[in-house]
Amino acid sequence: MQNETEKKLSFWEAYFKKEWSYTAGGVMLVILAVSLVVVTGKAWGVTGPFAVWGGKLFELFGVSAESLNFWAEGIATYDFFKDIVSMTDLGIVLGALLAVLLAASFKIKKMKSWRQVVAAVLGGVLMGIGARLALGCNIGSLFSALPAFSLHGWAFLLFFFLGAAVGSQMLKRYFM
Amino acid sequence: MAERTLDCLGEACPVPLVKTQKALEEMAVGDVLIVNIDHSCAMKNIPDWARSVGHGVEIEEVGEGEWDIIIQKMK
Repeated sequence: MQNETEKKLSFWEAYFKKEWSYTAGGVMLVILAVSLVVVTGKAWGVTGPFAVWGGKLFELFGVSAESLNFWAEGIATYDFFKDIVSMTDLGIVLGALLAVLLAASFKIKKMKSWRQVVAAVLGGVLMGIGARLALGCNIGSLFSALPAFSLHGWAFLLFFFLGAAVGSQMLKRYFM
Repeated sequence: MAERTLDCLGEACPVPLVKTQKALEEMAVGDVLIVNIDHSCAMKNIPDWARSVGHGVEIEEVGEGEWDIIIQKMK
């Protein structure tokens, strides 16, 4: 057992092992988000390409996604390695992997119950539908919208809280 | 002084925190609760909450990506 206040942390423990403060994380997010705008000219987003991937998946099964209005633009010209949002998405996954490996905390977690699987799949589907209806997730429609003084970010924030309140009550009642 | 173990392995936020709060409600002052977690966010939000209400908290790393949070109920 270690007493955090008495023990002097090594460089590795302080920067790679122990979690950073919320303030340090927030400052890093701002620096990276601003750099992204400066370098690419566009604000950070996440879920846009998911719709394209979904369309490509439909095409594998013979559905002509390009002929549908929803995918009218973008799907034919989409190139994973040239799409900035897809690249930052890949970066999130690789960065998370790097961080967990540096902290020596990599672990493949077991599924606890079928109820947990149902909750995860149901949550994923609802988040996907929500992100497409709102034309963005909490990154594109909130994190990137608020600093741009866009009103839709505030509308998103309000309903995001309402959704989270309903979701946590469902979690408590049905999935715990 | 009783000791109880709560298995939260494989569970993500906020489930471990809510389960910890529920378990502590049922326990007596001085009892010890050991929460097994493998979700790194729970390593922050459970100790943060427990300290904020005045319980004693210690964290022990038991393996790669696995921790025990040891909480002594103080009030």
